[in-house]
Amino acid sequence: MYAAVVLAHPNPDAFAHELARRAVTGLSAAGHEVELVDLYAIGFRAAMTASEREAYHGDRPILDPVVQRQADLVRSVDALVFVYPTWWSGLPAILKGWLERVMVPGVGFRFDERSGKVRPGLTNVSHLVGISTYGSPRWFVRAVNDNGRRTLLRALRLACGRGTSCRWFAMYGIDTSSTNGRTEFAARVERELSELR
Amino acid sequence: MSRRASRKVLVIHCHPSHEGFISTALSQVLTGLGTIGADVLVHDLYREEFVPELSASEHRAHREPGVANELAEYADDLRWCDTLVLVYPTWWSGQPAMLKGWIDRVWACGVAWELPDGAGRLRSRLRNVRRIVVVTSHGSSKLVNSLQGEGGKRTVMRSLRTMCHPLTRTHWLAFYGVDTASSDRRTRFLDALPDRIERIVS
Repeated sequence: MYAAVVLAHPNPDAFAHELARRAVTGLSAAGHEVELVDLYAIGFRAAMTASEREAYHGDRPILDPVVQRQADLVRSVDALVFVYPTWWSGLPAILKGWLERVMVPGVGFRFDERSGKVRPGLTNVSHLVGISTYGSPRWFVRAVNDNGRRTLLRALRLACGRGTSCRWFAMYGIDTSSTNGRTEFAARVERELSELR
Repeated sequence: MSRRASRKVLVIHCHPSHEGFISTALSQVLTGLGTIGADVLVHDLYREEFVPELSASEHRAHREPGVANELAEYADDLRWCDTLVLVYPTWWSGQPAMLKGWIDRVWACGVAWELPDGAGRLRSRLRNVRRIVVVTSHGSSKLVNSLQGEGGKRTVMRSLRTMCHPLTRTHWLAFYGVDTASSDRRTRFLDALPDRIERIVS
């Protein structure tokens, strides 16, 4: 299997970076080929540009080689793994921008010419995995809704094939968590991903 | 003119192009606000070349009050307004990355919230905000948006609202199915906007 781990955290010392490394270790242990995409490290720009917006419904919606590289990657993987901190109940801007600029018509979905309806484009993806840290405790995340998770497991899930399986790893209350709690969580991420088939 | 002190309205506009549905919606919103003589500040995030990516140094300092120097005006304006109006297209069931970046970076510690020593949870600081209005377009239908969970709506109505005045009222003015809508339906929505804004804000 071929897997991409998409990481969206600006601070290399942050726990999210540790989680991304552990995800890579776990997937590699399972014998999968893994590519780690550190969005901040590659200088990914979050904002869709005016010319991209204009080209969106045309034949070539991708104008930036950095974005093209990401589009080629997502079309070739069997597993998409996202590692990010939940901010304001959602995806960090850089990851939201990755969705907007990479998952354009022809990549994430296509428009059915006859009905005008949206059809899935990521039929190659059989596993969607999210790993997120939350400042808030679990009850609060439940109360305001986990909108980042919804975006990935519902909106992006609809862009994948019917049989795509989803898995979610949530570390709540990260700011008040113990070292032990974090160590156990990271170990669980590695172990469970090493069992991903 | 209203007999009361005029409303202080902060309008955040987010769309890369300056033509089309959302920019018409913006001018209709401004028309409505003009009628009631509101004090209006507009930030056009694309025109101002807002940088949406929260930086490593901002993250390292995220528990200390304040925003990055270049964002001081955005923070001041947010603390000034009593009404916040967001005008944007909904993409992937939420705010465009540009607008999400404005939230990630400007709704910072000391601006939108604080975490006093020993407190278990954030305290709201934007008590000045009494009204939040969203004007947005959705490419797909209301049904598809419901299936996708309306994450963007929840982000505003729940997460952002939590940091404002406890009695803050929220107004969701959404146009669904913009990709397939007839020009009649679009026109009706846009034509009605100034009146709707006037009723909500005055």
